[in-house]
Amino acid sequence: MHLRADRIDFYYDRYLIEASGHVRVQTSNGMVITGDTFSMDLRLNRFLVASHVHLRSRGGNLDGAAIADFVDFNRIYFVPVIEKPDRWTYENGDFLHPLKGRQMPGDVFYFPDVSASTVSLSARSALVQAKQFVRFSGVHAYFLHQGVPLPSYYVYFGTSQDLAQNSLSGANFDATWNATGNANSITALHVRYDQFNHGYLAFEQHLAGNEPNEYAVFSINPMTKNDKYWNLVTGEHIGSKFEITTFTQLYTNQLWLSEPTASAQTTYVTMTQAFHRSYLTAFLNQTNYNMLGPEDPASPNHPNSGTLTWTSYNNQVFKTPLYLEYFEGMGFNHDAYGLQDYGGYLYTTIWNQFLGFTASLPNVKIGDRNRAYSMYYLNASLSSQRQWMTVPHHVNTQNSTISLSRQFSRFVNSYLSYNIQNTSDLYLVGGYESSAPILPDGTPYTPFESFRGAATLRTATLGTTYSASPNLVTTVTFSHHDDFPAAYPGLFPLPPTNAIGQYTYSNYLGQPPWQLGGEIRARILPHLVLDVQRTYYFHFGSQIWSPSFVVQLSE
Amino acid sequence: MTNVRQRLGALLCALVLLAAAAPVTITGQLLAYQDGFVFFTTGDGFRLAPKVTILDEQTKQPAKRAPQARDYARAVFNDTGQVVEIDLSDKPYPVGPLPDAAQAFAVMASSPYPNPELEAPVHTTSNGVPETFTGKLVLVKFEVQVPPTTPITAQIYISTDVSGWNPQAILMDRIDALHFVVIRRMASGTILHYLYTRGSMQNVERGPNGLSVRPRELVVNDSDTNSTNSVVASWADSNGNGILSQPSVFPTPYNPAPFPNLPGGIHTPHP
Repeated sequence: MHLRADRIDFYYDRYLIEASGHVRVQTSNGMVITGDTFSMDLRLNRFLVASHVHLRSRGGNLDGAAIADFVDFNRIYFVPVIEKPDRWTYENGDFLHPLKGRQMPGDVFYFPDVSASTVSLSARSALVQAKQFVRFSGVHAYFLHQGVPLPSYYVYFGTSQDLAQNSLSGANFDATWNATGNANSITALHVRYDQFNHGYLAFEQHLAGNEPNEYAVFSINPMTKNDKYWNLVTGEHIGSKFEITTFTQLYTNQLWLSEPTASAQTTYVTMTQAFHRSYLTAFLNQTNYNMLGPEDPASPNHPNSGTLTWTSYNNQVFKTPLYLEYFEGMGFNHDAYGLQDYGGYLYTTIWNQFLGFTASLPNVKIGDRNRAYSMYYLNASLSSQRQWMTVPHHVNTQNSTISLSRQFSRFVNSYLSYNIQNTSDLYLVGGYESSAPILPDGTPYTPFESFRGAATLRTATLGTTYSASPNLVTTVTFSHHDDFPAAYPGLFPLPPTNAIGQYTYSNYLGQPPWQLGGEIRARILPHLVLDVQRTYYFHFGSQIWSPSFVVQLSE
Repeated sequence: MTNVRQRLGALLCALVLLAAAAPVTITGQLLAYQDGFVFFTTGDGFRLAPKVTILDEQTKQPAKRAPQARDYARAVFNDTGQVVEIDLSDKPYPVGPLPDAAQAFAVMASSPYPNPELEAPVHTTSNGVPETFTGKLVLVKFEVQVPPTTPITAQIYISTDVSGWNPQAILMDRIDALHFVVIRRMASGTILHYLYTRGSMQNVERGPNGLSVRPRELVVNDSDTNSTNSVVASWADSNGNGILSQPSVFPTPYNPAPFPNLPGGIHTPHP
C-alpha cells in the first residue's frame, strides 16, 4: 500500500500511522482512495480514510465520508454519500456487490487516541507491506524533540526474528538508522558510542529468506575507526531437524579502506541435528592470526578446533521433581605452531573426550500451597563433567547451586542461593607445582602455594527485589565469595577484552569476598526504562567499587 | 402534608416539562463534516440544519474554523432530528455508542440488517474470564525458568516483535537460581511475539532439540492480570557441555586448559 499526504506521523511505540492533508492511498488490489485524514494500526493491519473520501475501484467512482479496510478479514467498510449517507460492506474484494445496510463492527471508524504518545518521525509518503514493514520517504526523525531530516526510514514489524539477527557487539549507546529495506532485507547505519572507541559509525546489512531461520547479516564495526571488524553471520534450516549457523569475523587495522597494516580472521560453524529426545551438535572453528602474508610480523598461528557433542533432552526422572540431562562428546584443538609444551614434547593437536550430566530440581514448593506469600520455592542443580585430553591430564568441572526463594508480598521477593564451582586440572604425572606469584609490591603471595590445579569458588547470595510498581523496581544483592585460590586485587590478570573493551569471559579466578550490589530500574518515559547497577566491594584492597556503573536502557 | 404533596407534584411536573423540552445532544469524535451531514466515528451521519451554528465549546463563541475529522464535538438536535449546533471541544469526549434517541436521527439510505459475523460467541480464557479485548492496560507477568547451565551472573531479557526484536528489550529480575520474572502493563488485545535472550541474538533461547524456535505468542486479554510461565530449554551459544565464549576476541584461547589467566609466576603444568 502506498500512502501520500501532506504530513504522515508515525508513533513507534504503538505502530500507528496518522496522516492528514491530501491523503492518497493506493492499495495492491487497485483501489485508490483520497481523503482528508488517514489512520492505520500496523499491527492490526487495518486502516481508515475519512472526510471527503473519494473511492476509485472496480466498482466505479464513489464519494463518501469514510472508508475502513480490515485487510486481514478482507472486509472494507464504506460510508458513501450519494444523496444520503449509507453503509456498505465489501466482502472479499467484491466491489460490484456491496452489502448495503449490513451492520458494521462498532469501532470500525474510531481514531486511536495518541494524546499520550509522541511522534517518532514524520514523512511525506510511506510504503506499507502488510504485517512486514513500512518504508517512509521524506522523513524527519525526532530525537529529543529535534527533527533530523533523513531521505528514508524503514521499520520492520513482522513476527519473524530473522531480520533482527545482528552481528554487532554491544555498545553503550546505539542509534540505528534503518535506511531502507523490504520484506527480506534491511540496510542500517548505526551511530554508536562505547568507552573504548568513543563515537563511531557501523554499517549492517540484514537478509532473511522466506522460510523461518534463514538469515545472513553482514556488518562493519567500527566503520570509522582504524581497528575494523568485518562480520558475517548466517543461519539456515535444512529440513525440519537440521540447522547450521556460522559466524565469521575479519579484523583489519587500516585507515578507511587503505591497505591494512594488520589483519586476522576467525570462523565459527555450528551444526545441529535433532533426534528423538536428543540432538547432536558439531562445532568448528578456524582462526588465522595473520592474513597479510609471511612477511608480516604478526603471529603466524592458524589454529582450529572442533567438538562433536551428543546431548539428551532435560528428562524428568520418572514422576519425581528431578530432571536429568546428560551429554558426551569429543573434540580436538590444533595449532601447527604448538598448543602446549609438556614433558619436553610440543603438542600441536590435543584431542579430548568428555562426559557429563546436569541434574536439577527446578521447582520444589515447600509450605502451604494455599498461601502463596508464605510458601518457599527450592531450586537446585548440579552439573558435572570430566574431560580427558591426549596431553595426559583430565579436567573435572562441577557446578552446583541451591536456592531458596519466597515471595513475601505482592511487592517483595527474596532469595538465598549458594553456588559452588569446582574446577580441577589433574595430570597423571606432575602437573601444577607449588609457586607463589609476586604481588605488585614485590612480595610473594604465599596463600597461592597450595594451588595444585584445583580451584573452588563458593558464592552465597542474598537478593531482595522490591517492585513498588511495574515502573519502579529496586534490587539489592549481598554476596559473599569464599574462593580458593583467594582473590587478591590486581593479582589475577583480567581476561582479554573484545573490540569495545568488554571482558570476554567473566569467570576469572577470585572475586572480592564481600559485595553489595544495588540496582534501580525506573520507567523514565512511557516506553523507556532506565536501569542502573553498581557493586560495592568490602575488604578488597583499594578497590571498593565495581569498575563502573552499568547503565541500560530498555522498554 | 397535602401541601408537601402538591409541591412535590409540581416539582415533578416541572422536571418532566424541562426534560421534555431539553434538546437531544450527543458528544463524540467527528469522522467527517461534508455534503450537509456531520458524521461521528460511530459511522452515523446526521443531517445539518440549514443554519447550523458552530461554536467553541469553552467560550460559547463562534468557532474560528469549520469542523473537521478528529475534532471532538457536541451536536445539538432540533425536534426534526437535524443538527442545529455543533460545539467544538479541545478536550476529548468519550467515544462510544450513541444514545438511542440520537440513533433514531441517523440518516441511512439502506435498511440496516444484522451482521452474522458479529454474533460470534465470546471465548473464555482457561480461568473462565470472557476473552474480550477493550484495549485497557492490564498487568502482564512473565516468568521464565532458565536451563540449569545458565551462568549465575547471567541477565535475562525478553525480545519482542513490538520492540523490533531488540534482544535487550525487557530486562527481567532474578527471583531464584533458575527463575526470572518481570511485570509489564500492556493493552488488552496486544498480540505479542517474544523470545527470551541473555542479551543478544547469539544467545537467544533454543528448543529442547537444540534448534531455533519460533517466537512464543501471547494474546493479552482483559483479565486484570495476565501471566505466562515459560521454560527455556537451552541457549543458542550453549554446546551441551556449557556456555561457549563469545566469538569476538583475538586471540581465542585454544588450549582447553581451564585456567587461561593465572597470575604471572605460576609455573605451567609439567611432569
